[in-house]
Amino acid sequence: MKDKKVEPKKIMSETTQKEIDELKNIIKAASEQVIAQTIERLKKAYPNRPKEMEYFDEIANLFGKRAKELGQAKAEGKKIVGYNCIFAPIELILAAGAIPVRINSGWYDTSKLGDRVVPVEVCSIVRSTIGAKMIELSPFIEQSDVLINVLTCDGMTKLGEILGDYKEVWGLSNPRIKDSAQALKFWSEEIKQIKANLEKLTGNKITAKTLKPIILKTQKASRAFRRLQSLRKGNAVISGRDAMLVNQTYMWDDIDRWIEKTDALCDELERRVQNKEWICPPDTPRIMVTGTPMFWPDNWKLPRLVEEGNPPGILVADELCSSERILYDPVGIDEWTMDDMLNAIGERYLLACTCPCFTSKDGGNKDRINWLLTKAKDNHVQGVIYYITKGCMLYEMEYTRVKRALDKANIPVYYLDTDYTREDAGQLKTRVEAFIEMLNAQIDII
Amino acid sequence: MIAVGFDVGAQSVKVIVLNNGKVLSRAKTFSGFDHVQALQDAIEEALKLANITQADVTIFTATGSSMEASPYNASTVSMMSAIAKAGTYFFSKARTIIDVGAEEARAVKCDDRGVMVDFVVNERCAAGAGAFVEAMARALEVKMEDMGVLSLEAERASSINAACVIFGESDVVSLIHKQEPKCEIARAVYDAMADRVSSMVHRIGVNSDVVLVGGVAKDVGFVSSLKRKLGVDVLIAEFPEFAGALGAALIGLTKCKVNKV
Repeated sequence: MKDKKVEPKKIMSETTQKEIDELKNIIKAASEQVIAQTIERLKKAYPNRPKEMEYFDEIANLFGKRAKELGQAKAEGKKIVGYNCIFAPIELILAAGAIPVRINSGWYDTSKLGDRVVPVEVCSIVRSTIGAKMIELSPFIEQSDVLINVLTCDGMTKLGEILGDYKEVWGLSNPRIKDSAQALKFWSEEIKQIKANLEKLTGNKITAKTLKPIILKTQKASRAFRRLQSLRKGNAVISGRDAMLVNQTYMWDDIDRWIEKTDALCDELERRVQNKEWICPPDTPRIMVTGTPMFWPDNWKLPRLVEEGNPPGILVADELCSSERILYDPVGIDEWTMDDMLNAIGERYLLACTCPCFTSKDGGNKDRINWLLTKAKDNHVQGVIYYITKGCMLYEMEYTRVKRALDKANIPVYYLDTDYTREDAGQLKTRVEAFIEMLNAQIDII
Repeated sequence: MIAVGFDVGAQSVKVIVLNNGKVLSRAKTFSGFDHVQALQDAIEEALKLANITQADVTIFTATGSSMEASPYNASTVSMMSAIAKAGTYFFSKARTIIDVGAEEARAVKCDDRGVMVDFVVNERCAAGAGAFVEAMARALEVKMEDMGVLSLEAERASSINAACVIFGESDVVSLIHKQEPKCEIARAVYDAMADRVSSMVHRIGVNSDVVLVGGVAKDVGFVSSLKRKLGVDVLIAEFPEFAGALGAALIGLTKCKVNKV
């Protein structure tokens, strides 16, 4: 691990450094342009966009401020821990004095590069992350000292093996049945193993004294996060895309600063609620999206199509592990002992999660379905878009059950499958607009 | 009140002229490379047939894959809403409306009020659409318009895979090499296509009355296969390929009336 060069057994051995550099420069330039354009678009679409979004616009530049900060921290001897899934216990990473960053990538161009290594049937997120590593594009992957690879789905499991050619990878295996007696015990052992690994990596012992302030900090982050989500329950004061961007930046930003800025944004939004300063007409159809995670910057096709469609909708909620699922549940502590804290962390990551990788003993991921129904009710959702990138089998297959539940609750749902491609935007637009037309027609009649 | 609806499709442009819910005229041109020109030609023709001028038209409404490209200051509506409207216009009891065009197939579910409540679209592949028949007719060296009648001669069908137009074509070629009768291959083509369309429709449920619209609805071979696969009767609208344009015109008409009230 200590600066020992990994042997060049690379997955893309036929590529020369020159080609890697060339591709990296082209794709990086294209990506910076996409990021800038997407933000410009948001500004144009919402002339009264919240002022506090400016900060998040800056952090949204994946090659900007935050990448530099990570570089500096690394130069000062800090360790950086990349992770591919929100099951990675952030509290432990922070308590060991390391910096957590999520490494899933949202670049379309790199997903095409991933095709050279794995079949196109593999989901875009995995292919894109592989591609990003191939050309050393992601500042987060590149600066990571180690990657925590959570074995949620088959794609992620094997992604860890491929990335293992370049980086030290720690597998973190989650049980599939949450409510079995062994599940929590098994998971606690996994978490303890990660703790031991982190202590070895950083040389810092994780103690009750170091862990407590960190848990307090993430609880605070959770409160700010929830505050933002609850502001989306009434007439919209923030676009779904902006809310998603704020949620998503948590995955790479400095947490203290993120809390401060999110609270500032919420203050502004609360003022807007008081002044009845809505971001769109209150009769705009209210839409929730669930399914495959959507990663900045290229994988924002659907939210854009919804919110800039003709007729437009507004995303008022989501059930995505790239957005509202990240931080919704805080770590709940009874007593601040080391054992209790570790157990609470384990429970928070396992029991609260509504990932479709879970099933229960009596069959069916009821937690997710109940949560979707609750959210739909709380946020006055009029229609749900079930978003899939091809190859994301867990979400693809869970649709049947979700649809049945939503049908029963009289909430229209539309299954929309795509991948990172930009070229299908026209076809998707027709579908999304038809769905919103349908919601409008139903609203008119009521 | 005169309303014009047009459907700028993948293969052709369809225009319909309505006078208060009554069809005055219709016209169709091939899209070609220049959608806008094709559209202008079709509209001119339709207006001429209806014996009116553009100034008489109260509202233009566009639908179809290239609807944005249209002039005439038209409002737009998705194909799903349009065919739902057209289907229930033809058959008031229509609950499932299936549209099979040149390159897309879609189905819409309507409730008792005729309001669309669900829809489904084929997945970015032409294997469940008209282009499939066209490619297979080419492989069989049969005229496209003769395929349907030919398939009806068959007592049984060969088996081909309709997952993809290109692979389907190679399936057909190997059946030809095996010297299977042409009519059985033709029926296999329709069965494969109907299979795909019917699994798509099953995702929103098959509720009678089932109405088929779109250019392919004129193909007896496909209609017979689809009836068999769905196990219910399938109603065919009059001039089915104009359903999109008709629906658009009807929606335009409703909009005008609502705004006036």
